[in-house]
Amino acid sequence: MKFTTIMMLLMAGAAMFAGAQEGKVTLNIVKPKPQFNGTPKDIRSPNLEPARNGKPRPPIEVPAGCDKVISKDCKVTSSDDEPIIGELAYITDGDKEHDAATYVEISPKLQWVQIDLGKEKEIYAACVWHYHGEPRVYRDVICQISNDPDFVDGVVTVFNNDHDNSAKLGKGKDKEYIETNEGRPFACNGTKGRYVRFYSAGNTSNEMNHYTEIEIYGRP
Amino acid sequence: MDTKFNRRTFLKTSAAASAILPTFNILAEDKDGVIGPDDDQVNVAVIGYGAEGEILTDDLVKIPGIRVKAVCDIWEHRRKLARGRLKHLGHVVKVYEDYREMLDTEDKNIDAVVVATPDWMHAEHACYCLRKGKPVYCEKEMSNQLSRAREMVLAARETGLPLQIGHQRRSNPRYMHAINNVMRKNNVLGRITHAYGQWNRSVAPFTVVGEKIHIPIKTLQKYGYENMEQFLNWRWFAKYGGGPMVDLGSHQIDLFFWVWDCAPISVTAIGGNDYYNRQMNDNVMAIYEFKTKEGVVNRAFYQVLTTSSRGGFYEQFMGEQGYLTLSEIPARGNTAAPEPGYDWSKFVKMGILNDAKAPVALQVKRSSDASLDARVTKAAAGMPLPVDLLKPAHMPHLENFFLAVRRKDPKLLNCDAELAYESAVAVLAANRSVAEHRTVYFKPEEFKVPADAKHDPAKAAGEQPKA
Repeated sequence: MKFTTIMMLLMAGAAMFAGAQEGKVTLNIVKPKPQFNGTPKDIRSPNLEPARNGKPRPPIEVPAGCDKVISKDCKVTSSDDEPIIGELAYITDGDKEHDAATYVEISPKLQWVQIDLGKEKEIYAACVWHYHGEPRVYRDVICQISNDPDFVDGVVTVFNNDHDNSAKLGKGKDKEYIETNEGRPFACNGTKGRYVRFYSAGNTSNEMNHYTEIEIYGRP
Repeated sequence: MDTKFNRRTFLKTSAAASAILPTFNILAEDKDGVIGPDDDQVNVAVIGYGAEGEILTDDLVKIPGIRVKAVCDIWEHRRKLARGRLKHLGHVVKVYEDYREMLDTEDKNIDAVVVATPDWMHAEHACYCLRKGKPVYCEKEMSNQLSRAREMVLAARETGLPLQIGHQRRSNPRYMHAINNVMRKNNVLGRITHAYGQWNRSVAPFTVVGEKIHIPIKTLQKYGYENMEQFLNWRWFAKYGGGPMVDLGSHQIDLFFWVWDCAPISVTAIGGNDYYNRQMNDNVMAIYEFKTKEGVVNRAFYQVLTTSSRGGFYEQFMGEQGYLTLSEIPARGNTAAPEPGYDWSKFVKMGILNDAKAPVALQVKRSSDASLDARVTKAAAGMPLPVDLLKPAHMPHLENFFLAVRRKDPKLLNCDAELAYESAVAVLAANRSVAEHRTVYFKPEEFKVPADAKHDPAKAAGEQPKA
């Protein structure tokens, strides 16, 4: 066996050992206060997840050290660069409480917002809070990761509840869900990319798209 | 949104629809096949673009032929939201801080006005618009003061213009079917001896907003509010609203009037501001006695809690032959069930009720305003109603208003000021019963504004709450 081969094997073994040593931790997402106000509206969806009746979502395990918010104050762009109210910067400003001054409203129909992490990162999870001032369901919630700012090449879809492919980005297997202060966390399994893009297409209360906060978790 | 339909086609369609709605299963009806518009465009202004004004405006822009031309709100943040959102929805609107300026400036551009301001301003806004010649759709409760509600009735009489009050269940085809067809016309429940209604909500703190979007204090005070907290949470302050009993109870107590076709003879209520120590009662339990035209007394129990969401909001009507549960959200109430020994199969054959095993949802539509859900059937026990609403909850009531506007006929309204005044008397009396720790007895004449009553501007001005 050549020396270089031995060294490569040793290095690979060391990396595996380091990974095992690194271990897993449960992602701890800080939730804002619950803030449901007003009269609930009729929510009807053929793809709605079953009621959880207060039961928390399954925990998301990530490698130790990869549970940090890596999106704080990152630049946000959107398919609608002139929000109706609020600012795109609200999406990564760390304020996920619901009030009229903490969310951004953008145009109706399918729209996206995109977070630039500055450089390629290992992304292990994400959590999105659209508008959690009342129970409502946002349509076609899709999250994609890429190193291409135009999302043409190397696009990985990590969440998709567009069950009928109405957004024409592929049929998703995730379920629609009711917005709460818990947001919607999901695993991204170490997907690498610089840009994270979220789509939505209105909601069950109105035609508009809203974001209060998005947090991306990964290796800093 | 400027879809034009032929008036003749509309009249035929609406007449046919009104004839078949009570007995026909409209679940599978095509959204485009329901009642169409007159061919006249109606230009609308909105006064008050808070949460309720936003909901109503979102519905307005879905009604063919309706153009929103102007929006008034004292909060700049909401004016910005209204202008931006409506622009994206195809309506270019001018925004105003002062309603008088809007009405005066836009007089020739506005045909009708939707009022969705806090209760204490309803009378001022509605009466001003009516006297400017504009039909008005005004949110409930008519007012937190009965004398002000009376002014609204008088303004509607004086002008002869439509004044619709926002008890939107009065135009909900499911409620219309349940009350007009199941209970009244076909007497499916037999004598309805008791009714129950509740609206329970979880504990919720006062609404707050970041200071960066606060209304300047001078502006707040100009319009009668001491501070942002009072403005945002006006329902909880006696000057501006009537608390949860008036805000929520007004919808459901109105149903008792509708079902029994009479006014109550008394209300006994207890409650208090025990949990939050706010100005208005955070929990009220009220028992109303209704004496029907046949001379029998039926009773209704109503409760509103703001410290527990148990059961949410729904209404139940309990008769000797069966009972019926309704809610504005069908998954929370949409069924009837017979008492033992009563066979309701004939009502299924008549199309009055669905068989307990029959699917309610025949198809699923995906949009924010029209859809059906298989959960309706799964969640429901008993025999589901065969009628559903395929639109947002307020939309049919708005459509009914515009029907009256287009035909210049206030009699077409499903809830005019005279009718809404009756339930306002009963609802406001519940808070009085709580405060005075006694049963309030009603005289029949209390529910009507006297025919010879006249508008007295000086008196009305004196009754207007002062800033």
